[in-house]
Amino acid sequence: MRQASHRRGRALGALLLLALGMACGSDDTTDPLGSTNGATCGASAGAPPANAMTVLGCGNFKPSRTTAEIAVRGTLAYTTTWGNAAAAASVFYIWDVSGNVPALLDSVKVDNATTLGDVAVSDDGAYLVVATERAPGSIVIYSLTNPRQPQLVSIFSNGETNPGVHTAEIGRVNGKLYGFLAIDPVASTPAKLVIVDLSSPASPKQVFSQFIGNPFVHDTFVRDGILFLALWNAGVAIWDIGGGGKGGTPAAPVELGRVLTANGEAHNVWWFKDPITGSAKYAFVGEEGPASIGVSSTGDIHVLDVSNMASPREVAYYTVPSSPTSGTHNFSMDEPNGILYAAYYNGGVRALDVRGDLGTCTDAQKSSPRNQTVPLCDLTKMGRELGVGLKDRADPVYVWGVQFLGGSVFASDMLNGIWKLRAVSR
Amino acid sequence: MCPTPTATIVVALALLVGVPFAARAQHEGHATSIAADSTNDTRPNAWHGMVQAIPIVTHAENTAEGADLAEGYLSQAAAMGKGDLLSGHLRLEATLNAEGLTMSRGELSTGAFGEGFVDRRHPHAYVHELVASGLGSRGPLAYSLSAGRGFAAFGTDDPMMRPFEKYPINHHLSQILERPMITGAIRFGRAMLDASSFGGDEPTSTGSPPLLRRLGDSWSVRATAMPVTGIEVQGSYARVASPEQREGFGLDQHKRSASARFISADGGRYLLGEWARTVERDHGRNENVFAYESALIEGAATIRTVSVALRLEQTERPEEERLSDPFRVPRPAADLGISGVTRWRTATLALTLPSPTSGPIRGYPFIEVERASARARDARSVFDAESFYRTGSPWMLTAGARLRFGPLHARMGRYGAAVPAGPAIRALGIADGDPTSHHH
Repeated sequence: MRQASHRRGRALGALLLLALGMACGSDDTTDPLGSTNGATCGASAGAPPANAMTVLGCGNFKPSRTTAEIAVRGTLAYTTTWGNAAAAASVFYIWDVSGNVPALLDSVKVDNATTLGDVAVSDDGAYLVVATERAPGSIVIYSLTNPRQPQLVSIFSNGETNPGVHTAEIGRVNGKLYGFLAIDPVASTPAKLVIVDLSSPASPKQVFSQFIGNPFVHDTFVRDGILFLALWNAGVAIWDIGGGGKGGTPAAPVELGRVLTANGEAHNVWWFKDPITGSAKYAFVGEEGPASIGVSSTGDIHVLDVSNMASPREVAYYTVPSSPTSGTHNFSMDEPNGILYAAYYNGGVRALDVRGDLGTCTDAQKSSPRNQTVPLCDLTKMGRELGVGLKDRADPVYVWGVQFLGGSVFASDMLNGIWKLRAVSR
Repeated sequence: MCPTPTATIVVALALLVGVPFAARAQHEGHATSIAADSTNDTRPNAWHGMVQAIPIVTHAENTAEGADLAEGYLSQAAAMGKGDLLSGHLRLEATLNAEGLTMSRGELSTGAFGEGFVDRRHPHAYVHELVASGLGSRGPLAYSLSAGRGFAAFGTDDPMMRPFEKYPINHHLSQILERPMITGAIRFGRAMLDASSFGGDEPTSTGSPPLLRRLGDSWSVRATAMPVTGIEVQGSYARVASPEQREGFGLDQHKRSASARFISADGGRYLLGEWARTVERDHGRNENVFAYESALIEGAATIRTVSVALRLEQTERPEEERLSDPFRVPRPAADLGISGVTRWRTATLALTLPSPTSGPIRGYPFIEVERASARARDARSVFDAESFYRTGSPWMLTAGARLRFGPLHARMGRYGAAVPAGPAIRALGIADGDPTSHHH
């Protein structure tokens, strides 16, 4: 009896030790602010891609926060942050990008937000607009009278923006500044587009809203009174909001056309107006498929022929074959040179020659997007890939946004902060 | 198809209150054996019900954002009823769960995830189960058809009927619950096969009814064998359409599960080993994008009146952008991305003591301690568990008592002819002479 009791005691002791001893690990803390950027700027030991873009430098500061979108104007860049702990609040950073190494100047705290997913500067450089997620979603408008020290002008938030503002593009329609807000879905409330009159930035006024997107609306693109909407599995819609000749306005848009892109998941759009040839034939659509941030991503670039906006059609695409898979995110263009720059998450930055006829190619230059049967012109097979950026770094990158400006390409990297690259030439 | 929550609560309460409790108390603990056997012969109608709640206090060190928290609430507050009609050819089962009222913020449980909660177990739907089954037999073949809201034919038993208060992390990898479903089952000797057609959308809140238009967009099948009395092995497969995006545009899940279970004739010894894998699939691009795997072994032994149980688990969990409440993630999500995959390893030790009362209401005090390890599966992931929890090894300590009135159900997660015979696990709080015990 006594022996049995001892055996039970030993068994219990062993179980307890096993339970307590399993999975021991050391405590760790992380600098909440960030650190001096060092190793991440280094090139990898391996051979770079043949068309590797030249890296001029990375930021002199590596934020501990995860970096999101970028906006650059003049010699200053603004980068936002994603997935911040509520207790830590959200910030955006201000960088001096006049030299090869972006230098941190300041940071601005934004209350009541865990993610600042988008940032944009007005065409006149007077205002900076930051989108906040999730509830209470808003846009925060700053004056750039002193662009190194943005001053809060107003916060626009209401019941319709409350679920979270995923992106906020700003553009001018017939001389008046508007914001185009992509609102997150929440619970049983679908995604929504909200248009805000920003002509008086101190008192923004909502002029339009509509449930839209299936299931998301992630981004918009406005130019010359035409609004492109990336509506995920509902494709891409083209609206007249003042420049389409159908009587549309920002307060009462008129749909001109719509197209479903291969595999859906339409995330963002860039409508290319070539200042050299005058062509406005193509719009580029980013497909944002499933992604594991820092590791992998999916999604191709789809080329739409929008010469007939009532009947847009997909004519070409670009994909990056890699393992792990790489998918695209936001775009920027060097329009005078006809070069599209695409953030490609773990695929770095991709520079594509998009001047000329993209919808005509030989059979050998065609292939079908994944899970599709209709062959399209394949920009890679057409030799349109001009450059690959940041795939030659020693540490992984995960590029959210890019912006071309003045012979340079600036990239926001979720893992490392900001990069400056030399733009490719023809 | 499904009545409103109010109607279901009224009907189920009538079911529970309108019949004497424990009319067949001596059969408690093997209600499931009634289920299996009743397909073979004509039996008198039998009804029973049970009400339970588990008041607990949990202390978690280094939970979300590194916080040390202590909380208390009523967990697993539920009323269960089961009744046979038409000489055992019609069975009605209902489980109403009040966690939406008693712990709407979820139960502190570092590592848990699902239905928009993370590091907290979500409260279950008010209507956890409401199922009607028709049962019959022909010779050695027993068969059943079940319909209602409940578990799809997949995986292992609901953790509520297993010997730990804290659910394993793999709950959403190893069970498919609270779905509108139709399940057919056959049993031949020691082998069973059950299959479900159901709606893939998981509940969006404790009171949300399923979308009826999605009924039938998902299916599952499970094969079970009992080679020796007390031993049961199962393998199952499921295709679940867009569980986390109610409108159906999210990632699909292809799920697999295999398990082996042993329980002694008196329920005093119990052992379960299970493996589960969920692959998330982008049906638009027709490719697999994420995969999460789990392996778990748990056992319990009751020595006289004291029970000890140990669970070891390794489960991979998706990480998502958190809301301002760090225990919540957006539902629906704003895109199809994740922040990484964390590999959790846990060891949980539970000790359950006998009830100090011997009347119709029993209370079984228990204490549980859990040590966990959380590591990113891929070091490149933006979500770094060690930074987020301020440690790689969070702890939890839970103390409480299982309060119960009425006989304990032995199993949860199977219906009709697919319910194996056997007793309840004694480590859940059963002692010799209890109205909740049963011996073959």
